Amino acid sequence: MEIINAFVISLQAVWADSGFSAFTMGNAIMILVGLVLLYLAIAKEYEPLLLGPIAFGCILANFPRTGFLEDPGLMLAIHYGIANEIFPPLIFLGIGAMTDFGPLIARPSTLLLGAAAQIGVFVSLVGAMMLGFTEKEAGAIGIIGGADGPTAIYLSIQMAPHLLGAIAVAAYSYMSLVPLIQPPVMKLLTTQKEREVVMEQMRTVTKFERICFPIVSAILISLLLPPIASLLGMLMLGNLFRESGVMDRLSDTAQNSLCNIVTIFLATGTGMTMSAESFLVPQTLLIIFLGLVAFIFGTAGGVIFGKIMCRATGWKVNPLIGSAGVSAVPMAARVSQVVGMKAKPGNYLLMHAMGPNVAGVIGTAVAAGTMLAMLK
Amino acid sequence: MSEPVTTNPFVIMLINMTVVFIVLISLGLVINLIHAIDPTKEKAAPKKEAPAPAPAPAAPAPEPVSADGVSPEVIAVIAAALASYGYGPAAIRAVRPIERDGWKNAGRSFGVQRTLE
Repeated sequence: MEIINAFVISLQAVWADSGFSAFTMGNAIMILVGLVLLYLAIAKEYEPLLLGPIAFGCILANFPRTGFLEDPGLMLAIHYGIANEIFPPLIFLGIGAMTDFGPLIARPSTLLLGAAAQIGVFVSLVGAMMLGFTEKEAGAIGIIGGADGPTAIYLSIQMAPHLLGAIAVAAYSYMSLVPLIQPPVMKLLTTQKEREVVMEQMRTVTKFERICFPIVSAILISLLLPPIASLLGMLMLGNLFRESGVMDRLSDTAQNSLCNIVTIFLATGTGMTMSAESFLVPQTLLIIFLGLVAFIFGTAGGVIFGKIMCRATGWKVNPLIGSAGVSAVPMAARVSQVVGMKAKPGNYLLMHAMGPNVAGVIGTAVAAGTMLAMLK
Repeated sequence: MSEPVTTNPFVIMLINMTVVFIVLISLGLVINLIHAIDPTKEKAAPKKEAPAPAPAPAAPAPEPVSADGVSPEVIAVIAAALASYGYGPAAIRAVRPIERDGWKNAGRSFGVQRTLE
């Protein structure tokens, strides 16, 4: 009898300590959300390298009693890297090492398109504030329109950490949907004649310019907007690795091994913020809606400014490259190329669109910096 | 942590957009400044022009002028690719590798898309 009692008590203790006893309907729903995201990542290939670990992190976050965010260990270390803004700048180091700023240096006027496309960020901010979000929350939601995952995470952590999961999922989901969201807006706002504009070949960019650009940009922007000095500083350091020609090993590590490792931590850690209590709230649906608004207005802002530049330059700028200003490198540039090719076969806009595309990365970081300076 | 300077969303939008434009315009000016003071610019310019006259005398020749290392097979592939885009009657006057690596970078960028953002 004593043995049976001990056995029963032990089983009860195991059950009481197990995750099942504390498992809620919210956890079940979030695990289902994680499985759907995994399906989208694996079967539909929607940003699989990011959505995959985010989805798995979401599933992990909804196991009760794991103590991931309380007990010292890997999960807490990953959370520390996110909560203390360590991973987004490291991702920017890799992005910098992979980015060719040549098209931007050859045609600096495309910076204006990168700036104009940030209108989506601020339209979304206005919308969020009107729907009852605080200024900080609205700023973090608006940055979804920048179509730049690391910047969105960087800003969310500082301004609305409780919304990080929803913002990251919205940002990465819409980025993978850029080829579906942008073309209707681009066609709606441009005429056939505008879409057929053939742009002149860009000038050659010297090595001197390529090396000076990251150094001078880092100095200028970091002095103007210190809150984003770590983001922009790492972006430009990575680019200097690439362009210097004497730091190939560092460039290779930054754009491959390091970037992949940090991507695993950043994406898994972001998924782990998607606990039922923080994600299953009405605001999540609003955030996903506002993210779409931000993308549409960002695209429209870039295209409309492209039309202005088209007229101002005597039809030398194809307005379609303006949509690439929302960043989402290089997918947005490829969308400009595809829409341009449909309008006029043989019209290659890809390299022209890379200018506003990389300008959009800087523009989004600058928008984040201004919001941090003003709203934090 | 200080209080926000304003809570009017439209004022926030206006101020932020203005700052974004000012910062990026400043960056554009800096890029132009770097280009203006670039000591290597003069060396690059004639280098760029030098190969340009080469194709002209080759124009009447039936065989395209090709740079060292560009095989006739590569020229044939390029000609076929151009023909597929409707440039059939056009003559290829010269084939030479360009200095810039834009298309190579486009390929790299495609790789970025698969791993980031």
